[in-house]
Amino acid sequence: MSALREFLDDIVADTDAVFLFSPSASLYQSFEDDDTEVVVIAPENTVDAETFVELPLEFSDMADRIRFGVEGALEQEYVEEDADVVCIGDVFDDTPDSIVRVQVADFSPSGVYGLFVNSRAEPSVINDVLDVAVELGKKGQKGKPVGALFVVGDAGKVMNKSRPLSYNPFEKSHVHVGDPIVNVMLKEFSRLDGAFVISDGGKIVSAYRYLEPSAEGVDIPKGLGARHMAAGAVTRDTNAIAIVLSESDGLVRAFKSGELILEVDPEEY
Amino acid sequence: MQFDWPAIVRSLFSREAVTAVAISILVLGVLLAYLAWRYMHYFLSDAGIDEAVEGTAFERTAQRFGTSTVGLIATLVGISIYIGAMMLAGAVSQRFQDVSLWSPFVAYLPNLFVALFALMIGLIAGDKAKLSVSEKFRSIKLPEAELLPELVKYSIIFLAGLVALGQLGVATEALLIVLAAYAFGLVFLGGLAFKQLLSAGAAGVYLVLSQPYSIGDEVRIQGQRGIVQEVDIFVTHIESEGEEYVVPNDQVFAGGIVRIRD
Repeated sequence: MSALREFLDDIVADTDAVFLFSPSASLYQSFEDDDTEVVVIAPENTVDAETFVELPLEFSDMADRIRFGVEGALEQEYVEEDADVVCIGDVFDDTPDSIVRVQVADFSPSGVYGLFVNSRAEPSVINDVLDVAVELGKKGQKGKPVGALFVVGDAGKVMNKSRPLSYNPFEKSHVHVGDPIVNVMLKEFSRLDGAFVISDGGKIVSAYRYLEPSAEGVDIPKGLGARHMAAGAVTRDTNAIAIVLSESDGLVRAFKSGELILEVDPEEY
Repeated sequence: MQFDWPAIVRSLFSREAVTAVAISILVLGVLLAYLAWRYMHYFLSDAGIDEAVEGTAFERTAQRFGTSTVGLIATLVGISIYIGAMMLAGAVSQRFQDVSLWSPFVAYLPNLFVALFALMIGLIAGDKAKLSVSEKFRSIKLPEAELLPELVKYSIIFLAGLVALGQLGVATEALLIVLAAYAFGLVFLGGLAFKQLLSAGAAGVYLVLSQPYSIGDEVRIQGQRGIVQEVDIFVTHIESEGEEYVVPNDQVFAGGIVRIRD
């Protein structure tokens, strides 16, 4: 056992900060009195931690969670760029079962944290749209896989860079993403062609929108279709972000500033 | 026209029979009170009262005494029915010759029950209101924000207390004056403080309902020209070249809107 203990000691030696992922109150308490920096990363700040990074969605993959946590902690200046961090989280169950040591400097920022927090639209709105996309990807429209494109934020500019394909079903309506009934509506309307435009505050401005950004210099992975190209291009031209559900491979992808930021598989939720 | 039921009963039956009737009324009263108690229990629980009052200070106090809010209300109803039966039986049998000694207290009883009931509802409603208000202000960690839920709670309890005291016939004029002053202060100062918000909200209702301009339109409001990014009840966001103007909706009305179409 001593070899194991030694190995464990090596892992946790000289750490600058401890990241606790969704800790229980007692676990947080035991770390709080320690002299190392403690950062709590969870969907909700249930332990009233001062240094807290909010997880906008339940990343099923521990690596994604750590990536988001590190970027968030960096952004909020809880840790330095050359810090060594020990993450305590759960891979299988809801009880902490794993210890991961990461060097912050090794992370090339993917912008996942910025996607949620530094976008024009409110994080909760982005979260809601992502939820709708994931749910749509899981169930499809009447069992068939569907594709969808949501452009979130900077709606005024997006509307000026697009044109209607047909009458806007959301004209003069006041629906916001996140209402349960709206999710059903969005699902029904997802069989329409074109994009959904959603404002910073979550109001669904329009459906049936044909996006007309210039696609010059948009660099998205090869093999993705016109929908993704349009998404990438519109986020480069405006300050919006785009969330795309692919019809062919069923993945949900998020674009910001013309770049692919996040890729999630709806089946994993 | 009103019947003097006890007198009719007495004229119909013999003296022994009257006693028997009185006793049977008493027994019936006990039965009825028990049934009412049971039914109240069932009905209130079914209506979700016990869940609604869960966690309030009143419920906790009731629980400490081994009962619950639902139980208390049911008991109150049962007791009032039982006392009613007792009064009826007493009147029929004329056992208590000196009724005049009793009647003021007896006449007072319904008021007492109503007062108790009002107080109970007031305490529970006050607690509930406090909970929901503090829930709204949970994200604001200011000492001033913690005052508001307490204020709401005690306002409601004060009102309930006033109703209860009024039922008991206690002179409440002084308290009423306090209430009037309080209400006046609330309306007057509140109106003064929320004037801007109220007029912006009123204008916002029109803007949201009839949408003279919508997201994506280019407009000029009060000399600010830009693209509409967001319209809500209180403000309109207009953006142009990296600058975002947040215009209160009452100013949209005061200055008018120029929609730019070209």
